[in-house]
Amino acid sequence: MLRLPAFLPSLFWLLFISASLRPFLPAQETGAELRKQLVEAVSIDDDEQPARIEALAGTGSDLAAKVLAAWRGGELFKDKAADGTGTLFYKEAGAAIRLDNGEAFTPTEAKEVETSSKIRKAIKNATDLIAVAAPDPKARADAIGKLGMTQNADYLPVLLARQAKESEASVRKALEEAIAIIQLTDEDDAVCLAAIRKLGELPSMPSTDLLKAMTTSEDESDAAKAEAAKSLRLIEAYAKKVAFAQTLFSGLSAGSVLLVVALGLAITFGLMGVINMAHGEMMVVGAYTTYLIQNIFGSGVTLSMFGHGLRIPGMNLTGSAYQSYFIFAIPAAFLMAALVGIALERGVIRFLYKRPLESLLATWGISLVLQQLFRLIFGSNNVQVSSPTWLSGSFVISDVAMGYNRVFVISFAMAIVFLTWLLLTRTSLGLFIRAVMQNRMMASCMGVRTERVNMMTFGFGSGLAGLGGAFLSQLGNVGPGLGQTYIVDSFMTVVVGGVGNLIGTVCSAIGIGTVDQTLQANTDPSMGKVITLGSIILFLLWRPGGLFPTRTRSLEG
Amino acid sequence: MRKPESLIMILGALLLLVVLPLLNAYGTPGSTFHVTDYNINLWGKYLCYGILAISVNLLWGYTGLLSLAQCLFFSLGGYALGMHLMLKIGKLGQYYKAGNNPLELPDFMVFLGYPELPLHWIPFSSFWFSLLMVFLIPGLVAFLFGWAAFRSRIKGVYFSILTQALTYAASLLFFQNKFTFGGNNGLTDFKTLLGADLNAPDVRRNLYIATVLLLIAVVALVKWLLGTKFGKVQKAIRDSENRVLFSGYATTSFKLFIFVLCAIIAGAAGALYVPQVGIINPSEMTTDKSLEAVVWVAIGGRGTLLGPVYGAIFVNALKSWATTAYPDYWYIILGGLFVLAVLFAPNGIAGLPQQIRDIAAWIKRRNAPEPAADATPA
Repeated sequence: MLRLPAFLPSLFWLLFISASLRPFLPAQETGAELRKQLVEAVSIDDDEQPARIEALAGTGSDLAAKVLAAWRGGELFKDKAADGTGTLFYKEAGAAIRLDNGEAFTPTEAKEVETSSKIRKAIKNATDLIAVAAPDPKARADAIGKLGMTQNADYLPVLLARQAKESEASVRKALEEAIAIIQLTDEDDAVCLAAIRKLGELPSMPSTDLLKAMTTSEDESDAAKAEAAKSLRLIEAYAKKVAFAQTLFSGLSAGSVLLVVALGLAITFGLMGVINMAHGEMMVVGAYTTYLIQNIFGSGVTLSMFGHGLRIPGMNLTGSAYQSYFIFAIPAAFLMAALVGIALERGVIRFLYKRPLESLLATWGISLVLQQLFRLIFGSNNVQVSSPTWLSGSFVISDVAMGYNRVFVISFAMAIVFLTWLLLTRTSLGLFIRAVMQNRMMASCMGVRTERVNMMTFGFGSGLAGLGGAFLSQLGNVGPGLGQTYIVDSFMTVVVGGVGNLIGTVCSAIGIGTVDQTLQANTDPSMGKVITLGSIILFLLWRPGGLFPTRTRSLEG
Repeated sequence: MRKPESLIMILGALLLLVVLPLLNAYGTPGSTFHVTDYNINLWGKYLCYGILAISVNLLWGYTGLLSLAQCLFFSLGGYALGMHLMLKIGKLGQYYKAGNNPLELPDFMVFLGYPELPLHWIPFSSFWFSLLMVFLIPGLVAFLFGWAAFRSRIKGVYFSILTQALTYAASLLFFQNKFTFGGNNGLTDFKTLLGADLNAPDVRRNLYIATVLLLIAVVALVKWLLGTKFGKVQKAIRDSENRVLFSGYATTSFKLFIFVLCAIIAGAAGALYVPQVGIINPSEMTTDKSLEAVVWVAIGGRGTLLGPVYGAIFVNALKSWATTAYPDYWYIILGGLFVLAVLFAPNGIAGLPQQIRDIAAWIKRRNAPEPAADATPA
């Protein structure tokens, strides 16, 4: 019955994989060479010691940084064995780890390795500069930025040396920025002016405060002040563009969540004429299912069923097996919400097709019952659903941070819209759904089993809400009252888009999400919500059919 | 009107208006014939809810418009009188007594750091102005919204969803602290009304009596209205608006009039509710409250005159009992009761006698003896 184009599964996997791309981390030097170097630097107490310590900076090793920090903090110890040889060790997670080979051992006595002010200074320089040579470009850029903000001219030679060797584009930009910021305090006016100009060209957002201070300070020359003002204008124009793009992106992601939830509602409301006030609770079913799957993959969970605890054992998986829980949670959320929806349809809504106002009221009663059941089973507090690690982190494209989980939601929402369209136009179930929507009586006379179609449609719509809930669990808190915060928004989205119309729902969801986020960014969140709602109400009062009204000849339409 | 119903009305009016206050004032405390001050207050609250339910019923049961904004109008009326009561606290406020409030501002304004009384609060010092506002503000909001909605021929579920959105937006607005109406704490700690101390038992009894009088007035008004030609057109709109339109009536005007009237009734109920309960805050105007009012009407019997009042009293009494006896299950009870009422008892409590009669007749028909086997067909 359902023939999916062959490329569809691979499309899904492509999206999934692209959301999990990470820069490949080269292995760090933890080998014997490095350890030997460390031992030498710590033990050999002579005039060359500071130089050897600072040479450790060139290794860029995390281990070196850790050991040096431990040394400085008095956490590096020497154990004198009976034969006079000393073993250096540090403590990690309660166990003592030998410095020379990384093995655990039990010390007989622990004598702190001492430092002098010269050594401490050398350690500080070394740790600052280790990060500059770290293997991960992002860590390098962060460390360079920190060094730049100190405006300490001592770091200049190191940064310039690094600039000659650096090949990664993002780190080069960070280097230019840091060097320019340090040069702001240079005595030579020409260098200073060149630095200000450079900061404006980059443009460098972190230097905004420094440049602002320069325009108002007494010590700067007029030329410097003018140049700083010019650079500030360039940076502010860039910052505005970045803020706009960021708002657009968050609007897109908020709109995508709204889209997935509203799509289910559009199907049940538009195609069946049933107001489902319990739609929000279907979402919460999906979110709680994700929570349950996460705990089943982990350490199990205890639910309280009417006063008795029900313990669901966990599989205690770790690592990537555990992180894959989300892949299983998605279809599970869909199925659970669909089952609840079908039960609802068979039990209550079946009797109310001719009475839309009553379906609103009866489903609201059901939503009260469901909310209270959630409170009883899962507790009134929010439950913790953590993002899998392959969804944490973000793309940063020219200062616009795009979280992986949001990109995933957006791409998945698009996939869902596409799948729904496929369902409605290319499958026989879709054909029956459209037929029943247009004329229930006639479809029934033509042999369509309307009861079964209703059931499947309602199940599908509720399943979509469950999927929306699974996504929401990644983006926000999950609690019994979650459904109520989204129900009014979803109704508005469906009605604004034009009932019975998928494209309308898509447009209105993205539109409402974007408008909402933009207003929230420019005014405060509460006021933004009020203005959005107010404009929707005004829009509906002007055009009650919505964006794309269904053209019908019936008077009731 | 049928004899039993008018009898119920007269008996009910007597009971509520005369018997209960007398028992409260003169009954000996501790005996079963004494109505405690707490109970008089509780009945006052229930009857305010009953008036609210009547306004919902007038729109839903008799005109076919399910308005989820009645609680909004209820709260607006409550806020109007509440503002007057706040300004009358004056020297009895906490901040004034501590010496921090020379201008005698309401406490929440001192708390939020207002330098002086906002301009729109100033006229509310006058009781008559506030009373006018109790009727005017809900009426005006209803007029503007209703005119826009009915003109666009918005009906049925779309209208309900729009009223729900309006209520939601208004509650968000009132929850903001800088909206000068008390924010999420609302207006509270009232002391006096027209000079009478709100905590004194005889003042509370008088407020209760005022509520009963308002209830009787509203029921009489609705009964009269339904008997006129206007009422017939109203019921016709509920049954088939298109035919009414084709018959030449401007249904927009009828619907608008009813909508504004119901908003004013709800506002008046809110104004009597506030001094009895002692607080008004934005959680009174959430959509949950509006849907609860609809539950009262559905359970009490929509489309009947006294059904909403029965429903309001029954459900609220049940709530008071259940939230102490089974607090965890109250929402399940309410939701379940509601679903059952919608599915199996569409005429609610008021319609129960007729429903029972119908079931009895159906049983009787089923058990009737079969016609004789040799009866020839005509």
